[in-house]
Amino acid sequence: MIEKLQIIHPEMALFAATCIVLLIGLSGRSALRSACAPLTGVALLAAAWLGLQSPGADSELMQGMPFPGLLPYAKTLIALIGLLILPMLAGTVDRSYEKAVERGEVYNPMRSTRGEFYAFFMLSLIGVMLCATADDLIWLFLALELTSLPTYIMVAMSTSRLRSQEAGVKYFFLGAFGAAMFLYGFALLYGATGSTFLSEIREAMAEPGGAGPMAMLGLVMVIVGVSFKIAAVPMHFYAADVYQGAGTTVAAFLAFAPKAAGFFTLLILLGAVGWTHGPNGDALPPELRVILWVIAALTMTIGNTLALLQTSVKRILAYSSVAHSGYMLVGLIAGPGAGSIASNGLAAMLFYLLCYGVMTTGAFAAIAALERRAADGGREEIDSIEDLRGLCRVYPLVGWSMVVCSLSLLGLPPLLGFFGKLMLFTSAISAGEIVLVVVMGLNSAVAAFYYLRLAGYPLLEQRHDEAESPTLTPAPGRRLAACVAAVGVVALVVFISPLQRASHEATQLTPLPAVVEVKPASEAEVARR
Amino acid sequence: MDSLLTTSLTLAQDTRLEAFAGVTLYHYLFVSATMFSLGVIGFLSRRNLIIMFLCTEMMFQAAGIALIAFSRYWLNHTGEVFVIFVLTIAAAEAALALALVVYLFRRKSTLDADAWMELKG
Repeated sequence: MIEKLQIIHPEMALFAATCIVLLIGLSGRSALRSACAPLTGVALLAAAWLGLQSPGADSELMQGMPFPGLLPYAKTLIALIGLLILPMLAGTVDRSYEKAVERGEVYNPMRSTRGEFYAFFMLSLIGVMLCATADDLIWLFLALELTSLPTYIMVAMSTSRLRSQEAGVKYFFLGAFGAAMFLYGFALLYGATGSTFLSEIREAMAEPGGAGPMAMLGLVMVIVGVSFKIAAVPMHFYAADVYQGAGTTVAAFLAFAPKAAGFFTLLILLGAVGWTHGPNGDALPPELRVILWVIAALTMTIGNTLALLQTSVKRILAYSSVAHSGYMLVGLIAGPGAGSIASNGLAAMLFYLLCYGVMTTGAFAAIAALERRAADGGREEIDSIEDLRGLCRVYPLVGWSMVVCSLSLLGLPPLLGFFGKLMLFTSAISAGEIVLVVVMGLNSAVAAFYYLRLAGYPLLEQRHDEAESPTLTPAPGRRLAACVAAVGVVALVVFISPLQRASHEATQLTPLPAVVEVKPASEAEVARR
Repeated sequence: MDSLLTTSLTLAQDTRLEAFAGVTLYHYLFVSATMFSLGVIGFLSRRNLIIMFLCTEMMFQAAGIALIAFSRYWLNHTGEVFVIFVLTIAAAEAALALALVVYLFRRKSTLDADAWMELKG
């Protein structure tokens, strides 16, 4: 039994660090307080390393899971993107308070929020990892909530402005609504199959007539509820308001963590239904396929169209993250394919999650690295696209990071985003989803308009007024994160084929046991009752 | 699955609770679905933050009723265990919601969701 803990070693490492960070974040010694971020970094490195050692497809522990090879890829991916976001977070909370303490104010632990902030960050990442690990609906529900609850507070405390608290409340209420939706979906799934174990649900669904109306209704409710987490239609509308209201650094985190949790949930649950339905026996059940199809098409179209109308960079990136959810859903619709890497839509989805995490973090980090004069005389984060003018000339590192990351988000070859999108296209074509491919192609063309604006303002425009123009923030971590992400967008291209192979191996579906093997087990169970 | 919706609607009764013999799974599911729908309607139509939060709680508890009824129907305890966890999460969410609402109320002195319109676009 104890060896089963291997599965959650990365989470345990992160949780140990969470407890320590909570304690030392309240310490009276400022050196100890400022150790919070480095300690989080060490814990994330350890989690990434432990994630690589997670039991894979050949381990006995993973037998019976729908995706036995998922853990090493998923956990390492989550920990590494977390590590990329971490340097940005420095200086998000407590900046003015720490300055006041330096000037001689008596330190009051009640007013310090630094420990909680990093602890919530890690707890949320633990939640994402647990989503990928889940083999049970109860586990999945708790993991999704563990991902979301800390992010609500992170949004509310990310700046001292009123709009951050508003964003936090808005995010929380819609989040609770979404949670109730997928909880009811889970209840219906349990009602239809009599079990919360995904492996048993999978067997029940594979029986003739197993995927009946109640199970389908349950899955549809889960999809609608989870569409809040991934910011897809019909629950996408909060994204722009919340990302704009939250501090830029927290917005970057929101653009990755809940989204990753949502996609892992969908992957695992749809894996329990299986891509063995439809006329050729290689698609989702027709009801689910149609619903996901409509959601994917609407999500990318609405996301891209609304992004065109924005002038705030954070709102543009928010709607771009909505659109990217639509692209990733295409991979889920395409399914595991016939065996080659190019036809594996699930691998394409996981690989795109990696690409998207790097690109979008880089773009947010570049914005977070800049600040401008606020109306009240203080400094505030930049928000308008006008603030990006001529950035490449004044601050080349930040400017070029912004340019590279937005071009990669656009999918310009030979950057990382292009290869991610290419894989989604090939998998969708081999699954026969030609119309969806056309919709996606048109959307990529529309998206070019606003991504080129994001790249063109720093690169081609001139600054109007030096005094009113933004300057770098005193937090160097944000510049670092932007540069690392930009370098990653270029350098990871070299490692495309091992990464794609890893995501391909991570998404190998266990074939269902033959029905003959299932029967004696269920009879034995009945006898036990 | 078919049996669940058409033929056998009576809850599996061991030897207990003969008094409820006439109550079937359908009754519980009807109550649960009604509660859930009322929660959705309330959430979408009311503008007071506390009421909106109570509506989401009602949706959670509707799922709880469905879980318990299914648990009885399948004669296993998984659904009941699930409900314990749902209650825990609901308590955590309640603490979070009230903290956020009180915090905002101190700054704005209103509970009307429409009054917070700084974010628009």
